[in-house]
Amino acid sequence: MRVALCGITVRFGALTAVEDVSLAIEPGEVHAVVGENGAGKTTLMNVLFGLVAPQAGAIRLDGQDRRWTSPQDAIRHGLGMVHQHFMLQESMSVLENIVLCAEPAGRFGLVDFSAARSRLRRIAEQHGISLALDRPVARLSVGERQVVEVLKMLYRQAEVLILDEPTSVLTPQEKDRLFATLRSFRTAGKAIVLITHKLDEVMELADRVSVMRAGRLVWSGRLSQTSKEEIARGIVGGALPPARQRAVRTPGEPVLAVRDLEVAGRSGAVGPLSLRVHAGEIVGIAGVAGNGQGELIQAITGLAPALSGEIALCGRPVTHLDVERRRRLGMSYIPEDRQRMGLALGATVSENANAGRDDRRAFTRGPFLDRAAMARFASGLIERFRIRVGGPSALAATMSGGNKQKLVVGRELARNTPLVIAENPTWGVDIGAIDFIHGELMRMRDEGHAVLLVSTELDEVMALSDRILVMYAGAIAGEVAGTEADRETIGRMMTSRAHQALPEVA
Amino acid sequence: MRTLRESAVLREAVSWGVALAWIAGVLFLLMALVGAPFGEALSAFLQNAFGGRRLSYLMATLSRAALIAGMAVSVMLSFRAGLFNIGGEGQLVAGGLVAALAALFLPGPPLFVLGASILAAMVAGAGWALLAGLLQLHLGVPLLVGSLLLNYPIRYIASYLVAHPFRDVQSGMVQSHLVPQATWLPYFPGTRLDIGILFIAAASLFAIIYSHFTLHGYHARMNGLSPAFARTVGLPVGKLTLQTLAMSGAIAGLVGAVAVFGVHHRYIDGMLVQPLYAWTGIIAVLLVGMIPWAVPLSGLFFAAIQTGAAGMERSAGVPKEIALVMQAVIILFVASRVSGALVASSERRAGGGEGA
Ligand SMILES: Nc1ncnc2c1ncn2[C@@H]1O[C@H](COP(=O)(O)OP(=O)(O)OP(=O)(O)O)[C@@H](O)[C@H]1O
Ligand SMILES: [Mg+2]
Repeated sequence: MRVALCGITVRFGALTAVEDVSLAIEPGEVHAVVGENGAGKTTLMNVLFGLVAPQAGAIRLDGQDRRWTSPQDAIRHGLGMVHQHFMLQESMSVLENIVLCAEPAGRFGLVDFSAARSRLRRIAEQHGISLALDRPVARLSVGERQVVEVLKMLYRQAEVLILDEPTSVLTPQEKDRLFATLRSFRTAGKAIVLITHKLDEVMELADRVSVMRAGRLVWSGRLSQTSKEEIARGIVGGALPPARQRAVRTPGEPVLAVRDLEVAGRSGAVGPLSLRVHAGEIVGIAGVAGNGQGELIQAITGLAPALSGEIALCGRPVTHLDVERRRRLGMSYIPEDRQRMGLALGATVSENANAGRDDRRAFTRGPFLDRAAMARFASGLIERFRIRVGGPSALAATMSGGNKQKLVVGRELARNTPLVIAENPTWGVDIGAIDFIHGELMRMRDEGHAVLLVSTELDEVMALSDRILVMYAGAIAGEVAGTEADRETIGRMMTSRAHQALPEVA
Repeated sequence: MRTLRESAVLREAVSWGVALAWIAGVLFLLMALVGAPFGEALSAFLQNAFGGRRLSYLMATLSRAALIAGMAVSVMLSFRAGLFNIGGEGQLVAGGLVAALAALFLPGPPLFVLGASILAAMVAGAGWALLAGLLQLHLGVPLLVGSLLLNYPIRYIASYLVAHPFRDVQSGMVQSHLVPQATWLPYFPGTRLDIGILFIAAASLFAIIYSHFTLHGYHARMNGLSPAFARTVGLPVGKLTLQTLAMSGAIAGLVGAVAVFGVHHRYIDGMLVQPLYAWTGIIAVLLVGMIPWAVPLSGLFFAAIQTGAAGMERSAGVPKEIALVMQAVIILFVASRVSGALVASSERRAGGGEGA
């Protein structure tokens, strides 16, 4: 099916999110849409999928004008979308999630699960996907959830697949598997839209590229007509930042010391783990998601209790302190899940920016809030971290994904604490912002802060870390100095056995 | 922008018109069914909700509205903080019971007795709410369950106390003795409305200020919007829970005291339970989506519907059951309208905020 978007314009109040954008999506092609945070990529695709009604413009499927009243309309006409933030029912099983709203009715109007199951099996087999259909979604890793979202689209026989930053939290192996699936779709003649901030992925997979900036389409054409550098320049609208130089620095006193820590995990206990992070160093934790990194961080931050072992922060034992007291002692935390833990989406930018601030005097007068001071603080963050949002009084939910991330990062880094814990700190932010956030982390390291970095992005870990710890099966499988790290060694440690090769890359 | 806003207002007006037409239609049908005269029933409804000789019915509505609004404000504080405290009834009963007993047994000048009894009632309500909070924090009993279950013991404790040790035997009813007349809340001059409504107004004002303008109110709301977020950024979640519950309970206790000193002048078995003040309060809060300033108005709406429907039964001969059905019809349609409008306005605000 051929899709054409013609002259689409979307406004939210005074803000124009998408301005007069025309785009064609051809069958049998992967069309990459790139652009900085808040450029309007998600909004444009939401229009195509019937989630947002445009102020102007038309949607054409195979030359026919269409007007959606709801996403159901779009789904019925063969469109499918995997959203930037997943939309799955946690407590339901994979199978139930997939058939939801498209249940095959059996006799007496009951859901015919066995028919659904065998059809799904067929689809999964055809595209080389394997997944346990009866597991509850709550127990799946992010990568597995991604697969569920993809299966959901396939099950509904989508001919046009829209994937909004599908790889931002996937491990390289998971990404490769997803791309193999997408290639198989392309061969099957489906049209695919891929929104991403990773230009390597564009180069690897796309046939056609569209670059958006500030709501407008600034370039669109075949991949062969352009280059990675040109696309990058199009995104940032100017020259690229130069590569970063790492200053040599001898680490100081340990800021975080973890000894023999054991934590309850999803599948058995995690640990015992011991590690130290010194002042003036960045320690990266690499590993396939779900090997205990999450549990380790939860125990360090105080969100989950330690079963045994000790944690010391700035030389003080904190094992039995709550989150609030640990943070006061000198800890900041950029959580992996910005939607649930990083932000209160129903609150304003200003309210989100000021939550958890230690210097309460600065934004209160007695028991009362000083809203003006709160807004001033939020405006400061917006400016410093180049967050693209209307202002401090905008609801957090209306920010684009990358801008949400920048707000969380900004709030935490602005606390300027001796220890910074960062989980996937550049999840979904554009290339300019990645560089900026990396720069801030480096600056803090150079100033003598200790940074514990957890990232599924191996490149990120390698670019920033002074030391890299590799986690496997709830334990630290090895340590590599940042200067000596190479993908091969780390990759082997991530699966822990040297003889056990990396999972098959199809 | 202007035309956009104007068209939004127009749309709002139209949809209210549609809702009112539906209400009128369904009520007309119901009355046709039972053969009650429509005009007469309607005027009886309005008369009994807002009229009466020297506005006496309006006063009754207001007095009832005060109690419902008070309970609504009490649960609003909890709900906004994400705490599903549905034990308002127990906290209300604890307050009313303690208020009556304190006034009966405390020595001293009447004003002191009144003040001390109200205070004791608030402490009792807060204590009962805190009990549910402690059960959650320390024993892991979900607040929803704990607070609900705690409604029953206090109800039976109260029944027992006024049925046995503190019963006014001579009256022949299951009730306590009258509290000293000097402690009764006075009426507004020239009316039959006691000044208890002022206490409720003060509590509502406190709740509005607390919710919008204080640090703790802000933290509580963050917890209500996302408990995971509140924990992650290190808000004092446990303290916040207990503090919020204590405030909710204290306001419920105050409502109990107002019912004793303003309305009944004693504790009568079931006087706080049967009129469903606490439950109506919860519905009143849900109706306006926990927006603080709208909560007292919502309480007034529910009181008016109830007294109006009761009046219809008395003066227009509409059977009680039908009056109750009508009550439900009105509430349903208004509820759908109000929540729709509130959602729409918050969406508008979100859109407008971008441009600010
Ligand atoms: N419901 C909404 N109300 C108000 N503004 C909105 C709403 N949705 C999006 N926006 C604004 O529209 C702009 C474009 O957002 P969009 O989500 O399309 O960006 P994006 O290109 O997907 O960015 P990212 O790469 O960060 O995901 C942003 O400035 C955002 O704040
Ligand atoms: Mg987006």
